[in-house]
Amino acid sequence: MSTDLHTLSGAFAIDALTAEEAEQFRTHLEGCAACREEVRELREAAARMGEVEAVAPPAALKARVLAAADRTAQQPPKVVRLEEREDSGRRRWAPRLAAAAAAAVVVVGGAIGIGQIAGDDGTTLQAGVVRVFEAEDARTAEVDTSQGVVRVATSPGRGEMAVDTSGLRPLDEEHVYQVWSIADGTPSSVVVLPDPDRGASMEMPAAGTQVAITVEPAGGSEQPTTEPIVAVDPGEV
Amino acid sequence: MAGEPGLRLVTSYDGVDVDVLVGRVARGDGQAFEQLYDELSAAVYGLARRVVRDPSRAEDVTQDVFLEVWRKAARFDSTLGRARTWVMTIAHRRAVDAVRRNEAAKRSDSHGVPDEVSHDEAADRVIAAEERGAVRDCLETLTELQLESVRLAYFNGYTYNEVATLLDKPLPTIKTRMRDGLIRLRDCLEGAR
Repeated sequence: MSTDLHTLSGAFAIDALTAEEAEQFRTHLEGCAACREEVRELREAAARMGEVEAVAPPAALKARVLAAADRTAQQPPKVVRLEEREDSGRRRWAPRLAAAAAAAVVVVGGAIGIGQIAGDDGTTLQAGVVRVFEAEDARTAEVDTSQGVVRVATSPGRGEMAVDTSGLRPLDEEHVYQVWSIADGTPSSVVVLPDPDRGASMEMPAAGTQVAITVEPAGGSEQPTTEPIVAVDPGEV
Repeated sequence: MAGEPGLRLVTSYDGVDVDVLVGRVARGDGQAFEQLYDELSAAVYGLARRVVRDPSRAEDVTQDVFLEVWRKAARFDSTLGRARTWVMTIAHRRAVDAVRRNEAAKRSDSHGVPDEVSHDEAADRVIAAEERGAVRDCLETLTELQLESVRLAYFNGYTYNEVATLLDKPLPTIKTRMRDGLIRLRDCLEGAR
């Protein structure tokens, strides 16, 4: 972590960075648990400073706000938590993932054509990935994450699954996406994705095993160091 | 609520549990949303007024904040902080966005001079006096430069770059003072609670 970047936590916490700087700092936060904690605390202090300014709004505003909310759809819970958990050294993967998997997946159903996968934007998925998406019995799903869209395909017939990660935001040189399988709350690395445009395919994991993607320091990690941006139960796809 | 401002003292840290309310809002509970509005609208609107100045724009910001809270309540993660802080963080970001979007040109006139917290609206304020006192006392523990940096950024919506220009100080100095100032405020409030 660069000391220079770290000192931006104060400015970040009170929205005093330009949009570009804030974006950079957000990327930095993904890999820095101490920074996230600090930002959280500084925001709380700032919020209390802000609350001192409290002034009752005009009474008519309330009806306006309630009526507007009444016309507005709510977003579903997020699958994504780029948050590192350090409690007692043991990550609480299982319960979070179970909830995530239940909420996550928009099933598209049926195979997606190669054109859609390879995309008009020149992405180059590995052949093994395309094969799963194109399988006769392919089941596919799209999951929104904080880093972009991930497509998942499973082919029970082939006994394979694949992830199309080409919709994920490219990371800086110091970070990579890493795919994990999680059985009984224990993650094991499936593959590090230096180039998300290529996606990844793998054997269909055993029932009850979940597949997750995290952002890791370049080269990948032995164990996940951040919360997954996405977690799916392949059996649910 | 807003009928008789000043008569209703809202204590910030006991009474309504904002975290619980947000959890209910996440499940589409309109009544909880109304309670949340009653609990936090003065804080949100007051901050918006302070940052954007124009009362009708502050109302728009307030509406946008509560709609964002309504839409995103299911995404609020209590392990990342308190719901009250979450709402105020949204409020601040939206207020600052409003200022940056529309007032870049006018800013040199209307925001050019560092604005002191005006205490003359005290009758309108609905925050508990002791909380206000604690925050004020803690702000006084900041050095002048720390305080000025934090205030210009937080209440005027300046970037740290702009603050540095305005105060004619090197960028790294302002960056550091902003952080040190907030850390001091945090530590002081932590001790005062």
